[in-house]
Amino acid sequence: MSRISLTVHPDDNVSTLLDFQTDVKITRDGLVLVESIPFGHKVARQEIAKGHSVIKYGVAIGKATTTIRAGEHVHVHNCS
Amino acid sequence: MSTTAAKPIAPAKTGDLSFMGFARLDGRVGVRNHLAVISTVALSNRIAELAAQRHESGKGEPVLQIKGEFQRGLQLADAQLQDQVIAQLVDHPNIGAALVLCHDRRAAQAWKKLFHDKPVEVLAVMDGAGVENAIQLACQALERLSQKIRGQLRVPCPFSALTFALECGGSDASSAVCSNPAVGRFVDEAIAHGARVIVSETAEFIGAEEVVRAQSASPEIAQAIINCIAITETRMAGDGDHYRGVNPTAENIEAGLTTLVEKTMGAVCKIGDSHFEGCLTFGQPPTGPGLYFMDTPFFSPCSMTGMVAAGAQITLFSMGVFNPSGNPLAPTLKLCGNPHTVKHWSDGIDVNLSGLIAGEISLEEAGHQVTQTVIDAANGLLTKTEQWGEGQFIMPRLLPAF
Repeated sequence: MSRISLTVHPDDNVSTLLDFQTDVKITRDGLVLVESIPFGHKVARQEIAKGHSVIKYGVAIGKATTTIRAGEHVHVHNCS
Repeated sequence: MSTTAAKPIAPAKTGDLSFMGFARLDGRVGVRNHLAVISTVALSNRIAELAAQRHESGKGEPVLQIKGEFQRGLQLADAQLQDQVIAQLVDHPNIGAALVLCHDRRAAQAWKKLFHDKPVEVLAVMDGAGVENAIQLACQALERLSQKIRGQLRVPCPFSALTFALECGGSDASSAVCSNPAVGRFVDEAIAHGARVIVSETAEFIGAEEVVRAQSASPEIAQAIINCIAITETRMAGDGDHYRGVNPTAENIEAGLTTLVEKTMGAVCKIGDSHFEGCLTFGQPPTGPGLYFMDTPFFSPCSMTGMVAAGAQITLFSMGVFNPSGNPLAPTLKLCGNPHTVKHWSDGIDVNLSGLIAGEISLEEAGHQVTQTVIDAANGLLTKTEQWGEGQFIMPRLLPAF
């Protein structure tokens, strides 16, 4: 059992989860999730230091408001 | 497996994509050969509708009805734009022959001078002697026009003869990761083959200024587009509602969108890796191959009216949840990656991209799937919106009414 995720651009440091298996903690490309992440939400592919850009579509969509570990949910609580 | 899309598009061999279309005297190419009735003013809409229905019930071919809420008494820029758009729609390459219906004879005289490249008849309702007689005159004109395009054959046409309009609606998380990036892949391929692509809805570029700078052919083009975005943002802020502060909305955030830039980027990735070659006003045709931005209002049927008036023969419409929008004149392909929408709205969807969500296909394969569906539609395969007869023509309003 593993989760479906999509990394839109090779420069991205987040992937989007595209299934509903929120109890599964690994993606099909081997990224370990440290928490449950819903459909359509993002996971950090690598550590993103506080103040650094969150990159999706190869573009900075926001800044990390705290250091985000690999496998963590990236959303309004740690990115703006 | 997780799908990591490689950035470079496989270099396309130019000239290896083609379709069967209708060659027009002005050098353009149609993907349809419509017999159309264009009602130049809302007053004549009903006569246009009744004449079209009567032509069809008398074993004539289907008549494409182009009816906006076109007005008389508009001033300055609004009047000029409406006349320009109606003329462009009559001239559109997907129309083989057209009946232009006016209310008064003076307007009819003016329209008669405009069209030379296809069979066009101009009729004023006031030329009739009674409602029934006006309908009969319109039907007789449709029959004469029908005979002029009957038996016209499709000929091989290069892909470079095509102009595409891009649109999205009902956006959700799947739009951002499936249908819009798949459209982006298609756009890169279409442009490699010499086509023109127009993207619009200025409000959906708020937050994408960095992308516009990075993906414009020159700093001047980027600045022109960014100026349009700034004007729209200023006007939106000036109505007392600060859209940037309420966007993304609560439901966007619930669906996983974190910032406005992320939301905008979901829409903007329709342009792929291509670069803007120009910034167009509403209805303004592109001047050459490549990607163009058109400054339009956000309501999708209005934006599509502008892009189709500019000559787009096919519209690509990306959806998350279902949206019944479309343009009747430029076959509108509905693309969707949301498995739930695909399951329940399959009779309104042309391209099922939910395989991307399931990890069954790559983005590159999705792009090719879009290209193949586009070529099928260009060759004459009816789209779902055509089958349902969906779509609207809507003009923007530039000035206050009085």
